[in-house]
This record gives sequence, structure tokens and C-alpha cells, in this order.
Amino acid sequence: MAIDRRLVHNIEWGLLMACLLVAGIGVATIVSATFSTRLAGIYVKQLWGLGLGLLGLLVVAGIDYRRLVDRAHLLYVPTVCVLGSVLAFAPRIAGTKRWFLIGGMQVQPSEFAKLVAALFLAKFFADSKKDSLGLTDLLVPGAAIGLMAALIAAEPDLGTAFTLVPMFLVVAFLAGLRMKALFGLLLAGVLVGSLAWVFALKDYQKARIYSFLDPTLDPKGKGYQKIQSEIAVGSGGLMGKGYKHGTQAQLGYLPARHTDFVFSVLAEENGFLGVVLVLGLYLFILWRCFETAQLARDRVGVFLAAAVAAGLSFQVVYNVAMVAGLVPVKGLPLPLMSYGGSSVLSSLLALGLIFNVRMRRFAN
Amino acid sequence: MRIYEDLRVLQRRLMVVQTLLAVAMVLLAGYFWHLQVLRGRFYRELAESNRLRTVPIPAPRGPLFDRAGRILAENRSSFNVVVTSENREDLYQALEKLSDLMDFDPAQVQERLAEKGPRFRSLVVKADASEEDVAKVEARRWEHSETTVDVVPLRSYPLAGAGAHSLGHVGEVTDKQLESEAFAGVEPGSMVGQSGIELEYNKELMGKDGLRRIVVNSRGVEVAEAEREPPIDGPPAVVTLDMELQRAFEEAMGTEAGSVVVLGAETGEVMSYLSLPAYDPNAFSLGIKPALWNGLTRDPQKPLINRPIQGMYPPGSTFKVVNALAALQEGVITPGTRFHCPGYLAVYNTIFRCHKPEGHGTVDLKQAIALSCNVYFYNVGIRLEIERLSRYAHLLGLAAPTGIDLPHESSGIFQDPEWKLRVLKARWFPAETVSVSIGQAMAVTPVQLARVAAVVANGGKLVTPHFMRSIDGKPRPYPPPKPLGLRPDVIQVLREAMAAVVQEGTGQRAKLEGITVSGKTGSAQVVTHARLERDKNLRAYQPHGWFMFFVPAVGDKPALAGAVLVEHGVQGGQSAAPVVGRALARYYGVRTIGPGMAIPEQPVPDPSPAALRAAQ
Repeated sequence: MAIDRRLVHNIEWGLLMACLLVAGIGVATIVSATFSTRLAGIYVKQLWGLGLGLLGLLVVAGIDYRRLVDRAHLLYVPTVCVLGSVLAFAPRIAGTKRWFLIGGMQVQPSEFAKLVAALFLAKFFADSKKDSLGLTDLLVPGAAIGLMAALIAAEPDLGTAFTLVPMFLVVAFLAGLRMKALFGLLLAGVLVGSLAWVFALKDYQKARIYSFLDPTLDPKGKGYQKIQSEIAVGSGGLMGKGYKHGTQAQLGYLPARHTDFVFSVLAEENGFLGVVLVLGLYLFILWRCFETAQLARDRVGVFLAAAVAAGLSFQVVYNVAMVAGLVPVKGLPLPLMSYGGSSVLSSLLALGLIFNVRMRRFAN
Repeated sequence: MRIYEDLRVLQRRLMVVQTLLAVAMVLLAGYFWHLQVLRGRFYRELAESNRLRTVPIPAPRGPLFDRAGRILAENRSSFNVVVTSENREDLYQALEKLSDLMDFDPAQVQERLAEKGPRFRSLVVKADASEEDVAKVEARRWEHSETTVDVVPLRSYPLAGAGAHSLGHVGEVTDKQLESEAFAGVEPGSMVGQSGIELEYNKELMGKDGLRRIVVNSRGVEVAEAEREPPIDGPPAVVTLDMELQRAFEEAMGTEAGSVVVLGAETGEVMSYLSLPAYDPNAFSLGIKPALWNGLTRDPQKPLINRPIQGMYPPGSTFKVVNALAALQEGVITPGTRFHCPGYLAVYNTIFRCHKPEGHGTVDLKQAIALSCNVYFYNVGIRLEIERLSRYAHLLGLAAPTGIDLPHESSGIFQDPEWKLRVLKARWFPAETVSVSIGQAMAVTPVQLARVAAVVANGGKLVTPHFMRSIDGKPRPYPPPKPLGLRPDVIQVLREAMAAVVQEGTGQRAKLEGITVSGKTGSAQVVTHARLERDKNLRAYQPHGWFMFFVPAVGDKPALAGAVLVEHGVQGGQSAAPVVGRALARYYGVRTIGPGMAIPEQPVPDPSPAALRAAQ
């Protein structure tokens, strides 16, 4: 596949550097969180994941996004099948069925389903030529994305399933969803949420939400993660306790400290200054992603970039808010920083789509 | 040429989304400012309390020495195998792993676990573990990170049972004690004195526990020590006991139950103190096992009773010394006063018998004491009357706590008209005075009787029995001997009479070669005479044998005065006097020269209704 030289010229180097910087900070934090434990050395796997992800980014960026979006329906069907087979065949790990074991690696299909969802959303809303959309216009894409979300939520992986919601809403909003319809949708969301609370949520999910509301009820139970993370963050102070010197992280009080709570380790060891630096980098990256949508030369590009940006933004905001104890704990990794091959790969492929749209903003 | 789509609407809406993101991020940063900078100190303290635990380092109690500097109580290092975990699952796992490594009693561990409640941190799995166990744990530290070996000072008593009732024992402070004034400032879980000197002087003997601030991981396992404040050892203390004398009496008592109290006659220093049967105080240092404890509390011989201060017995014929002292001091009799003993005295329409049915004939005071003639003292008592008998008994410290520095001393009972009116709401019969004359109708402790012996020995001073000589080199003050205002000639007569008891009377079996032992025998009735007649051979009905005695200073050994009671020893001359003879012979390194023959002495018939009630 030949890549147009002009495209390489149009690569947004600042964005790439920011991504690599955040990923590098992530690796360093993973090292700190694991070096004194059995998991010492897993950062090497993270580096491999990042390398593979960068390669994937280039590949994804290289294929014209319009060709990808054109074939989104071809990707959608197998993705739903894979998500279904995860439920049917995946081994139960820690009470959930999220991963396939491929060659000794845990692969999490839901991470990649997000990308397919972005492509699907771009295709569907670009094809619809209406200027103004009502609720009825959302039925088809809503059902398609809803099916994916339902399959993912059943694993159960509520965090990833939830990520699809802002992606869908943002694209629908951009595509001209009437404000009345948007508020109606949000209202319906609240309703469905309360119904789900009664009928669909598993006990552990309810317990998490209860414990979020008052973690001191059961400090060693479900609220433990929230409390310990809050203590880690708060005790970091302005300057932090120093790299590899976070007592909460190093003495094992922080659970999932190299995965979902990696930001907590960063906040403890590097303090408010570290937090502001990394949040600034994320804001820069996400802003550039949305800017890409602004700059895209066609509706497909706008929708694709916006869907990806919305998904990444939701993950970043939710994860950071979770670490600060503002929202219930859900298994949602921090893009680029949390340990996990699927997450890193999926995040970089998503950024690949952004580069893809951005590089081609001037092309013929 | 391509027609560009009109994307302006999209771009406007995109700006809204972008702005939302930026606002969210700024709000998040603001919240982190709140958490980390504004409330940083609060969370830092939480993190510190998360990670730091304060663990006491128990301070060794002050060692106890006898008057010659021999060790009576010390602290040996003992090893406890401890499992630490803040999570019950982890704990069970650790216990299971540990059970492959060493033997321990799972039932006991469960019991301790139950006591600890839900918020425990560490659990002693095996107290006083062997060096082999310790080596095993230390060799596998890595696999068994929850398991550690704590070095704890363990109280140890070389005298074992012979020191149990004087020195006492230690044990973990109880919840009730923690609430009391005496144990203010004591931390839960501390070892404190639970009886005897250990309890009486607990505050002084306890050192100050040290502290370790340790860093623990999320499972509560220690990973580092942050700070150490070393413990301050308890100060050494010297008590008045003489280990040699203690050993001599322990051996002389053999398997008998009873009491031994020997005082320095001039000072009241307790030089020997035994309550038998005893228990091993060392068994308490580790935390007594329930089976052993139940055995001790249910033992019909009641080894936990501190007999010398809590056992209350009628003094029997030993009271004749008090009677004689009162009569001489009051001028009711002179040493030459004689009474005829036909074997009984008929008075107040009652026959009061002497223990010798055919009678002692006409005897003077010295003979009456030496032979323990009842009729003589019936006559003396009748002439003294109950008020004066009572006054002198109290003057000599009977039926009142002696003030000895041991906890839970009993006072005893002395029946006189005032007491009878107050307690029994009844009038005094003159016949009861007859019984009082020979030591019935009252109950005294052995230590009270030893004090009476000391009064005669030291020329008329009432001493306060005490154990503590000095703590940390500083002498402990004690009440000085109190002069009773007795005439020297009265004391002299009593001394001669009591010497005659051992020389030629009922206490001859205490006789030593070259050392003058003086004394007075007695027997303390357990049941009424009539009841004893019915079950003559029942050991539990046999009277206790008394012997109160004193010896002059010998070489560097001070004058001694004491009382020995052998439970169900029947006659003091046959049971208690030989104990004193054997013990003192060993103590002074001389021979006993008392005859092996029996000196008759019978329990006294006692028809007094008040005494009957008291005896029941």
C-alpha cells in the first residue's frame, strides 16, 4: 500500500508526541506500581503493546478513512458475532467473561468493538442526508449500538458498554439531533437506568454503587477501592511523595494500581503538579481530536473523528473522576496509561483514525 | 473539482462538545486541587494511619530478690509465634500453612480468635515456642510473611509453688481491672500482677512499655520499622523472704495442707510464708490454660486460697498465751497462782472438761501453759471476764487485719458481748466466757497468731508483717513496731512458760540442740465435739494442729516468731511442732532432739451455744 508523501507531511507531530509522552508517563507509573511485586517486569509487555499499537496506528492512518467507513457494515456483523462468542465461550476470569486467550495473551474484544462502533456511527449518520433528526431517526443506529452495548454489558463490562453511549450521543447531536429529542433521550436514559437498577444490575454492581454512596459502611469491602484511591490522591499533596515512594501504592493499599487506578499512583507520587501536567496533556490530545473533527473536510470525517474523540474523552474523564472518588468504580482503563494490551492497542488504533482524518483534510 | 459539504452547523455543535470537555477537565483539575492541596493534610494523616501501626514492646517487670539477694522472680525471654493479618481469609490460610510446620492447638487458637473479635491484628498461635519452632519460622520467613516470632519477657518463679501465695503470679490485665483506679494507665493486653506481692506492688514493679511504630502493608504484615522507643525495665525489688527458710518449711510440711508464717520477731519482716497445697505460678505467666484453671478452682483443697491471711481458724490452746498475758498484766493472777485440775470444771451448770480426763492436779501458770491445762485457764478467764479478754485479744491484733502488704487479707472474728449483740442479736452467757478462755468462739488467721508470738518474743511490741524491703534500692517504709505497754515481768513469765512448752510440755517435738525454741501448741476444732464423736475417723472432721513459736537471734539470723497450722493435724504438738522442729533444724544446721513419743492433747469439749453456732 502506497502512502502519499503529502499525507506524511500532514501528520500532526505535536499530537503524536503528546500521546507518546502520556504513554511514557504511563509506563513509568506502571513500573513504580509493580516493581516491588510479583508483577515487576510487566511494563515490558506494555512497551510491546505500545509498539504494536504504534504500528497499528500507522496502518489505520494509512487506509483512507472513507474506504474504512464504507465497509463499516462488513465489520459490524463479525464484531457482534465475536462479542456474542465471548459471552458463550470465554473463560471466566475474576467473575467476568471479557477476555479470549490467544497465544497466552488476554484479548478483550470489547475494546476493539468501540472502534467498529465509531466507524458504524460515521457511516450511518453520513449516509442520512437530513439536516434535522428526530428520535425516530435514531432507532436503527440506536438499536445497532444498543446491541453491542448490551452484549458488552452482559460480560459484564459496564464501563466499556457505557463508553458507547457518549459516542452515539455526540455523533447524533452533531448530525442534527433536535434539542428536544436530545433531552428526551437523556430523560429516557435516566428512566432506563432506574429500571435497570431494579431488574438488570447484578448484586456486585449494586454493591459498588451503594458503596460509592457511602464507602465508610464497608471499608474493606466494595468501598475499599474508592477510599484507598481517595487517600492516595489526597495524600499526594502538591508535590507528591516522590516516584516509587507512594505509601498507598507501594504497600498494596491501592487495588488495580497498574490498571484502572494507575492515575491514582501518579497523583500520589507526583502530586497535584503531576496531575495537572497529565490532565493538560490529555486535554491537549482530546482537543486536537475534536479539532480534527472541526477540520475534517466531509461529514464522514467529522463524525468519525468526533465519535473517537467522544469515546476517548469519556474514558479519560470517567477514569480520572473515579480515581478522585467522584463516580462509582467501574472497570474502565485510562487510555494510553493503564496497563493492558487491548486497551493500549485500541486507544492507539482510535488515534490512528484521528490521524487518518486529519492527514486527509486537504486531500483532493 | 469537488463540492465541499457545508459543515458549519456540525462545527458549531462540535464546539459545544469541545467546550463541555474542557469544562469537565478544568473542573476535575479543580477537584484535585481540593483533594490534594486543600485537604492534603487530612488525607496524609489517613495514609499514615493506614500504613503505621503502633505495637507495644512489653517492659520486663522488676525482678524480685530475697533478703540475701537470691532470685525469687525473674523474666526469661520466651518466643511467641504470632500470625498477623487484617483479613480473616488470609489468617486461615496462614494458619493452615503453619500447621504443616509445627504443632499447635487449633482449638485454643480458635478460642483466642473468638476473644479478639472482628478487628484483630495479630494472634499468638504458639506461646513459649521451642527453639526448633522458632528456627523453622525464621528459615521460611519469605513464604510465611504473616508469621513472625515475638520475643516476650516471661515471668518465672524458681520457688514455684513455695512462692505462689506470697509473690503471687501475673496474668493479662482483665477488663474489670482496666476500669479500676489501681490499673490506670495500663494498656489492654499488658501482663500485670494478679495476686500476692505482684498485685500489691504492681504499679511499682511494672516497667514502662516501649513502642514500635511499624510500617505495614495492606495485609497488615510488617514491612519495616519506622520508630522505636525502647521499654524501661521495672525496678528490682528486695523482699524480706529468706529462701532458705522457705525451702526448709516447704520440705518440713511435706504433703500436709496448712499455713506457715514466720516473721522477724523485732521487725515483722515476713521471712517464710507458705500456703499449702500451692499451685505453680509459672503456669499463669503464659496465660493459664482453662483446664488447669478449672482444676484449681474446683480442687476441694482450695489451693488458690491464701491460707495465712485468709484461712480463719479458732486459735484453740494457743490463745492461752493471750489469756495469761491479760491476767498477768491486769494482776488477776501472779506466776505463782495455782488452780486445781480434776479433769473438769463445773460452773454455770455446765461441765467444762480438760483434755486430760484424770486431771493435771494442782498446777501453776508455767505448768498450766506447758501442759496446756484447760481448767487452769477456765478459772483465769472467769476471773478476767469477757471484756478484758476481748480487749487484750484486740490489743494483740487478733480478729483484725494485720496490715500485711498482700491483697485480700481477712480480719477474723472475735465473739464478745458487743459482737454477739450486733451480729447475732443475742445476750452473752457467762458460760461462753469459759469457752473464749481456751480459744474457742473466735477465728483468727495464722499471720495474726504469728504476730502474737512476736509480741512475746520482742518484749511487747506489735509488729506489722510486711514483705517489701526496698524497690530500686530505696527502702520501703513500714509502720514501726507499736509498744503495747506490757510490763517486762509479764513478758518474762510468758517466755519462760513458752520455753517450758518445748522443754517439757506439749511442744517437745520442736526441741532443737543448742537453740531455745519457745512455743505453744493448740488445736483448732473443725466441727463440734459431738459431731467428731460420731465420725471419729473422718479426716475432714479432725481438728487442725497449731504451733506458735519463737526463737532468739542466732548468729546473723534475726529472732524469729511464727505460727504453723497443719490442717487436720489433730494436735499441734504432734503435727505442727515437728514441722517447726524439722524446718528450724535444717535452717540452723542443728539436730532435732524432741522425743518421738506422743504428748496427749485432746480437743476441748465445748458446750457453749454461741461457739457451737460459730463452729457450724
